[in-house]
Amino acid sequence: MSFDIAKQSIDYILSNPELFNEPSVEFDFIGGEPLMEVKLIDRICDYLKSQMYKRNHKWFNSYRFCFATNGLLYSSKDVQEFINKNHTHLSIEITIDGTKAKHDLNRIYKDGRGSYEDVVKNIPLWLEQFPDCGTKVTISHADLPYVCESVMHLFSLGIKVVNINVVFEDVWVDGDDKIFETQLLNLADKIIDNNLYENCVCSFFVENIGKPMDQILDNGNWCGSGKMLSIDAAGNFYPCTRFAQYSLREKKCVIIGNCVDGIDSNKLRPFLTLDRTTQSPQKCIDCEVASGCAWCQGENYDAADTDTIYQRSTAICKMHKARVRANNYYWNKLFRKLELEGRREEYNATHKKQTEKPC
Amino acid sequence: MLKYLIIPLANDAVSFCHYERGNASDRLIDIDMLKKAIFWAMTENVNVQFVYPDKEMPSEYKPVIDTIDHAKIVSSHCEDKVLTDEADIVVFDGWNDLDAFKCQSGKSYVVRTDKSGLFDNADVFKSLFPKLDRLVVVITDIDKFQESDFQKYEALLNAMIPIIKEEYGKGHSLHFNLLTDRMFLDKMNNCNAGDETITLAPDGKFYICPAFYLDGSKAVGDMETGLDIKNRQLYRLDHAPICRKCDAWQCRRCVWLNRKTTLEVNTPSHEQCVVAHIERNASRRLLEEIRTLGEFLPENEIKEIDYLDPFEIIKQ
Repeated sequence: MSFDIAKQSIDYILSNPELFNEPSVEFDFIGGEPLMEVKLIDRICDYLKSQMYKRNHKWFNSYRFCFATNGLLYSSKDVQEFINKNHTHLSIEITIDGTKAKHDLNRIYKDGRGSYEDVVKNIPLWLEQFPDCGTKVTISHADLPYVCESVMHLFSLGIKVVNINVVFEDVWVDGDDKIFETQLLNLADKIIDNNLYENCVCSFFVENIGKPMDQILDNGNWCGSGKMLSIDAAGNFYPCTRFAQYSLREKKCVIIGNCVDGIDSNKLRPFLTLDRTTQSPQKCIDCEVASGCAWCQGENYDAADTDTIYQRSTAICKMHKARVRANNYYWNKLFRKLELEGRREEYNATHKKQTEKPC
Repeated sequence: MLKYLIIPLANDAVSFCHYERGNASDRLIDIDMLKKAIFWAMTENVNVQFVYPDKEMPSEYKPVIDTIDHAKIVSSHCEDKVLTDEADIVVFDGWNDLDAFKCQSGKSYVVRTDKSGLFDNADVFKSLFPKLDRLVVVITDIDKFQESDFQKYEALLNAMIPIIKEEYGKGHSLHFNLLTDRMFLDKMNNCNAGDETITLAPDGKFYICPAFYLDGSKAVGDMETGLDIKNRQLYRLDHAPICRKCDAWQCRRCVWLNRKTTLEVNTPSHEQCVVAHIERNASRRLLEEIRTLGEFLPENEIKEIDYLDPFEIIKQ
């Protein structure tokens, strides 16, 4: 992205507060690897801050710059200068997949070397600067045998929050749900038996998932697409980066405007009126463990029989049900243990009830 | 449930709706395909509407067409004047020739016009209303309406209220889609392409409507394999989040325009919603005016509302 495209996009966004009327904002820089362009990002952030100040914009002092990075450049001089300059408005998430073996399966240099050692050496500095930040892990078919050991490894590195989910694409084969459930049951045992639940969180275990959902009261959309403007390097606008051409397998990209002409609000209407039941097949509406079952609007679109965002993909159905069973086990085991130790009330008072975090 | 089959008999069959007519060509529907389509319509128990090109149909087609009860949609410029006389719906492209055309009672006349043609020809309505029983105006560029156009449109409809009232006062139950349809309705009455209506195009394949055929959309089946409408539920009202909350029941709810403007067949554009609500609100005023003449549709009430786009309610 050129600075000029970024500037035009910022000017458009800040000049149209009626279109962007949230009280706060996150500017999320997505790569490839965003920190490779930290100087450009620094210039963009400076422009944003100065413009928010000059315009007396409501987002001034109510904004965050967010990054998901592979962590390789984290300790570099340029990145550290950027962090020091913007620290109070920064959220940085380093993605590390788990153990060295697991991480180096996919995250490799051009010459084939694994990147684990170079990432992990930056973890202490990152945790020192952002002790509350978590990491994001995505599980696909090949990763299933490593789920338990990967999460435990991340906890052992000092990472306290592991946000983790299975991919929404249809990569699953018969039996994957059983492997997944076994991994999660093992993980539940390890977290509880080692008292890790006191300080650590794995987002697979959420107390209130796995319940039927009311067709009227629980009818919101899961996915936030349409409410998070995404801008590509050419200045095209998307309802989410998953609708850009490089993110799609089968379908044409969905462009909802650009930094010169602005947003075509008609193209946003389907996203903003989308609800759970209208896009769901009957089996999802009737599902007795529906709550917490997520979807990605971009994947729904990509996998749909027609060019629509209104056909929910159910590729993760069995995986969700496996998660619910393990999740039930986790909470039953944890609460029984706390009761036997007379610590249930203390736990309830000191631990915020986790809720599933929509996209 | 499918109720209607539209059969454009040629690529350049007259457009009676928002889409532009196809290029003139000699591509007629194959006569054997036409026979199959008629047989299909009989077995599926659907009503057939034939849409004619301007050029006279070859004589061998006429007896085939007459093997099924049907409605005829014909252009005012059709070479076959007997056919025009027999037509159930006569379509005018623009306002030329309307004044001179000899309208018949009991017949529907469709005028396709862009917004500027509509605003420039408001006076033509005055002369038309006494001469015909049903006038359908199709605005071909609704998607291009801007704020100033909405205001002009509202003023135009308001100006027609006393003229239509006068017709009703004379005992002439004129039907004019933009103003009277809503008064008579107690539920949604839309185009329903893809749900109740399907089109068999001259290439022998099914399409959601003629517009989907002409813009190169994928077919939704053919005579051999039958209908195969993917995501068919999205053409139904209950799967249209904005429309199912709406009471502009006269709205055409054009799924082709929806897809063109919002990329989804079940989501109307802001412009389509506002235009429909301007009509709805004008119908409300017309209903009140006609009631000053005496009892009229006592069961039908059109509530006063404070929005022109139901999307605003959903957002709230």
